[in-house]
Amino acid sequence: MGRRFALDFAMQFVIVGFIAYVFALTFGTLIPVLLCGALAATNAAERAHAAELRHVSFFAMPLFGRQLARAHAIAPVLGALAIPLGYATGSAVRGVPLGAQTIALLIVATIVAVLVALSSVFRDGLRAALYVGIAIGAVVTIALSALVPEHGLEIALTLAVVEGFFALRAFGETLARYDPV
Amino acid sequence: MIAIRACGASFSSDGEEIVAPFDLVVRKGDVALSAQPTPRAASIAARICAGIVKPTTGSVYVGDYETRLQPPQAKRFVGFVDVDGFDGDAHAFRNETAFRADVWGVDARAAHARAEAVFAALGNGDERHRRYARAIALALVPDVIALVLDQPSRRIFDRVRAFAPLPAIVRTRVGAVATPDPIPELAPAAL
Repeated sequence: MGRRFALDFAMQFVIVGFIAYVFALTFGTLIPVLLCGALAATNAAERAHAAELRHVSFFAMPLFGRQLARAHAIAPVLGALAIPLGYATGSAVRGVPLGAQTIALLIVATIVAVLVALSSVFRDGLRAALYVGIAIGAVVTIALSALVPEHGLEIALTLAVVEGFFALRAFGETLARYDPV
Repeated sequence: MIAIRACGASFSSDGEEIVAPFDLVVRKGDVALSAQPTPRAASIAARICAGIVKPTTGSVYVGDYETRLQPPQAKRFVGFVDVDGFDGDAHAFRNETAFRADVWGVDARAAHARAEAVFAALGNGDERHRRYARAIALALVPDVIALVLDQPSRRIFDRVRAFAPLPAIVRTRVGAVATPDPIPELAPAAL
């Protein structure tokens, strides 16, 4: 598990870093946020990952849904941080270093995308895809709110905290209702 | 003391009845059998008894806790062993033991010692047998009042019954006829 997690992290870091290196001059602030959010959402909703999280042993534990949600979210959130960090590194290598505010925006957008998309791993088909869509929608709202002149970053961060909180709550509800048959 | 009590518990999915309504009363030290027509039904019946799956109709109690209303409280007192057992090596087994000790609030060293002792008593067999034995050892890390075994082999089931103190045991198997009542297969003698 540890080796695979490290490999996934490194691969994401390198791939996104390469994308940033190639496109850093043409991408502004909005596109990297959307890119990081979309990649994080689709990665968190990956089916192999879903099969692992659905393992019956988790549901045999005397844990509430909210506790399981926090436990399930830690690894995907940490793993997804490779995406914004990779982008920031690739962009800096290209000679277009990102500002601290932009990096903060990338990180919170990624975390929110993961938290929303995690609810999709306990659903199949269209309903699973819907949660990925909602995750990308949440990232769009964060990116757009950051464009507000004056206090744009503060608004975006506040929005991210609210969206992240409700996403984690919703994930906990999903886990509490889920029957591993 | 009644460890597990099921009253008219059943499970349906998409309008199809998978587990027919069944009643079950198992006391500490008793052994009960739930025979189901298919492997899937047997696994779901085991999950219902362990409070992991909510029954579509009826209710299941583990101790005093209703599994639909108080699932975490009910799961605290029941050990569940899936049909596939524990699919991990010795290192993963130690990690899982520590994790369970933390979740159940059990002393980690004592949990390791108990898990190793249980595995040593049960684990002599092929790979499938060892996986199942590891899962039983993990299920017995906390001090449970009931142990739910999903389709155990006869060999491992016979060895489990030699443990003391014996919790209530519910086991499932694939068979033609569902048994509504517990079958006292063996009194816990000479434990």
